[in-house]
Amino acid sequence: MADSARLVIFCGKGGVGKTTLSLAAGLKHAMNGRRVLIVSSHPLAELALAVSLEGLSTRFPAAAPNLFVLYIDPRDLISDVVAEHFPAPAMAQRILNSSIMTNLIEIAPGLKEFFFLGRLQELSERRKSKSAAAPPDYDYLIWDAPATGHFLTTLRSAKNFEVFLTGPLAAAGAQLRRFFSNSQNIQLIPVTPLEDMAIAETLEMAQSMAKDFGVNCSAVLVNCASAMCSATEADIAGLGPMTGAAPAMRFAVERGLMERERCVELRAALPAPQVLIPRITQSSNDLDLLVRIGERMDFSFA
Amino acid sequence: MKIIVCVGTGGVGKTSVAASIALTQARAGAKCLVLTTDPSLRLRTALGLKDGLLEQRVPVPDAKGELWAALLDVNATLDEAVRLYAKPGNQARILEHPIYRSIAGSLSGMQELMAVERIDQLILRGFDNIVVDTAPSRHALDVFDKPELFANFSDSGRVRFVSRTYQFAESVGLTAIGRGALEFSSRVESILGTTMVRQMLDFYSLFYPIAEGYSARARRTVGLLRDASVTEFRIVTIPAKALRDAQFFIEALNKRKFAIGMICVNRTWHHALPEVTPEGLAAELLDSYRSVSASHRSAIARLRETFGARVKEIRILNELERDVDGVESLRRLADQLEPSLSAAAS
Repeated sequence: MADSARLVIFCGKGGVGKTTLSLAAGLKHAMNGRRVLIVSSHPLAELALAVSLEGLSTRFPAAAPNLFVLYIDPRDLISDVVAEHFPAPAMAQRILNSSIMTNLIEIAPGLKEFFFLGRLQELSERRKSKSAAAPPDYDYLIWDAPATGHFLTTLRSAKNFEVFLTGPLAAAGAQLRRFFSNSQNIQLIPVTPLEDMAIAETLEMAQSMAKDFGVNCSAVLVNCASAMCSATEADIAGLGPMTGAAPAMRFAVERGLMERERCVELRAALPAPQVLIPRITQSSNDLDLLVRIGERMDFSFA
Repeated sequence: MKIIVCVGTGGVGKTSVAASIALTQARAGAKCLVLTTDPSLRLRTALGLKDGLLEQRVPVPDAKGELWAALLDVNATLDEAVRLYAKPGNQARILEHPIYRSIAGSLSGMQELMAVERIDQLILRGFDNIVVDTAPSRHALDVFDKPELFANFSDSGRVRFVSRTYQFAESVGLTAIGRGALEFSSRVESILGTTMVRQMLDFYSLFYPIAEGYSARARRTVGLLRDASVTEFRIVTIPAKALRDAQFFIEALNKRKFAIGMICVNRTWHHALPEVTPEGLAAELLDSYRSVSASHRSAIARLRETFGARVKEIRILNELERDVDGVESLRRLADQLEPSLSAAAS
């Protein structure tokens, strides 16, 4: 039996669809009876604006009780840490209200990120029963990670604390670094459209994760892929010349051909299975959209 | 002098739009610089951008003015601030301090802080116009709050007291007593551990004079950004995000009393459709194009309806077939951004 929920990390450049794909993957597994917690580092209000899970309990009554979405505010984490150390609420409040405390913590490099990692680990190991034989509360913990730069900064905070400090935070840093270096615990799934910058970031991230944490990507989700990416050479030859074609047609073909090249380059540079997700625009509501995207994610988190 | 600040979330092509805006101004005769945070490798190469503090002239043969580009190099800008504002004896201690190393290397808000510092440096160098490409996130507007956070930090009597007392105690060899007298810091220590608190106190007592100097400059720069006769904010977005980006940024900018000029809806699929319907793969590609294009059109219609009256202009930019990878593609974007098109856009 697993000691902890599998932590699945959807990472990538900003705006590539991490949140939407996280929700789609979460919904898919919840529909299959898995208990899924999606942890997001951006506020729920923004998440709700991206894609909404509204109407989940009426549309998918079986999935709804298995699917949880949690936004972690770093400020709350800090309040929790203070409360743990100072059980007397008045004292805890005095400390939280003090400008020195808030300023020190606000500017302490990596501290918020560090507490965030600690909470992720705790959530993945959490169980209702104290017995070690009890299963963890969740089968999958999906981390809808921040954009690449901040994502790497967050993970590196564990390492920095281990290296630069001594005392309790350094020990905690070493322990977190071990947790996030264990591929039994985590699964890294970058999301990228077939665009230069997003691909470059994906490759840098993959390299950095392999070097700093010894973790490799389990799959690459290629988002918004053109039909050209999976077309046969014969189909492409059948398109004929584009000179004189309408601008929309020329755009669709040229863009598709570029994406096809990028797909090949990406495969050569990053040898993880590629999952092509087409650009899906028309759905009567967000839940339908998520289900349709989920259908394309024919890979498991095993 | 004119400053244009482009704000927008990730993946909307903000850097390309910022560089194209700068190009339109160079064409009109200005000496214009685009300050960018995170260009693609191809665009970086095209603009000749290198790490460090140097501005780079981008050759544009047919422009009346000049196009310049600079990269916001957070580490170099911060090092420069230390060299400019720290006491000579403290410079090396700061630059080699472990807290400094991890701040310079990894603190996420530092990018925003240094953007403001760099704008100040560039104003002094005499550019007519500066186009700023902010960090690609909704939090990028913290750029303009964070200087004040830093200012509050150094204005706070207690921090000044802590830093100075510590500095004094240390200088006369009474570190333990000096720190012990700060009853408060010992409580913080029990949470964060002794090393971290000591390192932070040590660091901030060194860094404090820089923060003071920084705050004064940051207030001045933020003052310029609030001056509607100098600065215009442009919201860069894409059709799928247009409505919620507009809502978020209009609110956030209004709250901070910044003037909003234009919303640029970039990467729109708004090309002319063919008259005859093709077959096979072409039909599949065109179907997909049509459905994306239809959703773009309806998103833009909703945007105009909801926010048209609250901004000066909404400009639609067609997506290019390939990534923006050089001056030629910037030229094609800039063509769509020319002010003369304003009247035609409806």
